[in-house]
Amino acid sequence: MKNSNKIKIKQLVRKRGFFLKEERTAWLFVLPLTLYFFTLMIYPFINGIFISLTRKLVGFPPIFVGFQNYIDLIHDWVFQRVIRNSFIYTFGAVSIKLGLGMVMALSLYKGIKGLRFFRGFFLLPWITPTVISGLIWVWIFQGYAGFLNIALMGLGIIKKEIPWLAIPNLALFAVIVANVWRGFPFFGVSLLAAMQSVPQEYYEAAKIDGASATQRLWHITVPLIKPVIIVCSLISIVRTFNDFNLVWIMTRGGPARSTHIFATYTYETGFLSFQWGKAMAISIYITPLLVIAIIFLSHYLLREE
Amino acid sequence: MHKNTFVKWETIYRYFVLCVVFLIVIFPYYWIVVTSFKTMGQISSAKSIFIPNPFTLKNYTHLIKDTHFLLWFKNSLSVAIVTVIITLILSNLAAYSIGRIRFRGKKLIATLVLVFYLFPPTVIFIPLYLMLNKIGLTNKLEGVMLIYPTITLAFSTWFLISFYRSIPMELEEAALIDGASRFQAFRKVILPLTLPAQTAAAIFSFSWCWDEFLYALVFLQDVGKQTMNIGVYEFSLADIYPWGLLMSAGVLMSIPVIVLYVFVQKYMIRGLTAGAVKE
Repeated sequence: MKNSNKIKIKQLVRKRGFFLKEERTAWLFVLPLTLYFFTLMIYPFINGIFISLTRKLVGFPPIFVGFQNYIDLIHDWVFQRVIRNSFIYTFGAVSIKLGLGMVMALSLYKGIKGLRFFRGFFLLPWITPTVISGLIWVWIFQGYAGFLNIALMGLGIIKKEIPWLAIPNLALFAVIVANVWRGFPFFGVSLLAAMQSVPQEYYEAAKIDGASATQRLWHITVPLIKPVIIVCSLISIVRTFNDFNLVWIMTRGGPARSTHIFATYTYETGFLSFQWGKAMAISIYITPLLVIAIIFLSHYLLREE
Repeated sequence: MHKNTFVKWETIYRYFVLCVVFLIVIFPYYWIVVTSFKTMGQISSAKSIFIPNPFTLKNYTHLIKDTHFLLWFKNSLSVAIVTVIITLILSNLAAYSIGRIRFRGKKLIATLVLVFYLFPPTVIFIPLYLMLNKIGLTNKLEGVMLIYPTITLAFSTWFLISFYRSIPMELEEAALIDGASRFQAFRKVILPLTLPAQTAAAIFSFSWCWDEFLYALVFLQDVGKQTMNIGVYEFSLADIYPWGLLMSAGVLMSIPVIVLYVFVQKYMIRGLTAGAVKE
């Protein structure tokens, strides 16, 4: 049956220029998506690069200024803070998310009763609308009658209320905490799925050879799930670096610009002071990091067939 | 004997860790629900913070009667549904082709999909705004419906490609030999097999739209045109945070995603891990 099918396919191929037709069909199928990408993503992106080379004030035509916006930004102290904040925010949050995700996955892995129950609840932060999770963390961290202050004062750790979101470094810490809370389930669930795909025999063999639980973790689990760790971290780095929602909802970049990151500063410059050129230059500065992340990721994800 | 006590301690330790994580996760949520039933007076006096006393539904009635919440809710729902439909149509066609047909340029398209999977809205929201403004689509739900697929399409396509690839090729070869066109084979033979993947892609896209904030903030300014996230966010711009109102909105906003989620947790997890874990 199978063989006769193959012969028939060969005849079909010879008869009607099958592959040519196939190619046309294939392109017809991907055409809508490609068109969408070109008009609503690639074209705006290229357009954005042009905008970043101009200075435009509302009501006047744009003036071409070359790389002036980019040069100005290097000397802009807010932008310098934005770079610093973005890196602290991203690497602080991603490393804690990875750590917590690992703890979550290891605790849930194999032989625990109520896996579905716990896993179900652990995804709650991830499906909560960001507006709400952002605001709830504002409240936990707020100075007057905020939960954290009530708790710390109740335990006798602090004497006076701390206005967490009004002190620069503490505010950055607060948005990182909120980001971790929201994002660690992604790591936990992905790492758990990866761990469950490691063949059980490896562990049994290692047990027979007398390897301890820590040794098994470092020499079997971690090396085997390494690709997933890297991919998750890269995706999370890109998403966290470009985050807007949580920071804007919690602090709007304040106090004293101490939590401004790329996206919030872009928004402020574009939509609140209407300096489109400068705003675009800020966001174009992200692309090198993006390109590096994409190259790494495609190395892991495009290995097919 | 020694081994058994070790196993026991390990299990206890793991449950302990799980319970700690559980508390971290559940606490802010508990806080949202509890606050939504508190009176304004109780919230600001910070007394008996763990239970609403007296219990009140005022926040909810106030939210529904005196604000545009229901309208925003409807806006969010219609934007999300239209986006999911557009996403499913475009990404299925492309994913089928990339996953099952050989053609030149396939690798290029697959790479493009991956690039856009990571592409942040941050980089294009300004030019998109200027573009839509020029053709008069800002401040209209249609405009947002048009651009929301920029967030969902790449992921959905990426996710579906691997699914289409996993279906045996012989299935449609038979149909093709019998004279069916590619589109017929796709629609009649393959598509019915992909229902679980469609569900996952749809739910994932839906929850993404439900959460979207930046585009909605930029594109929709009129109170009557806003989506839920923006409307509720703007409550928080008042001099004093109206916590009762915000938290009751939070409860109502979470319900649709939680309901979806309870029914299809399995698919949701599949969607969440699809980007990273290969099956």
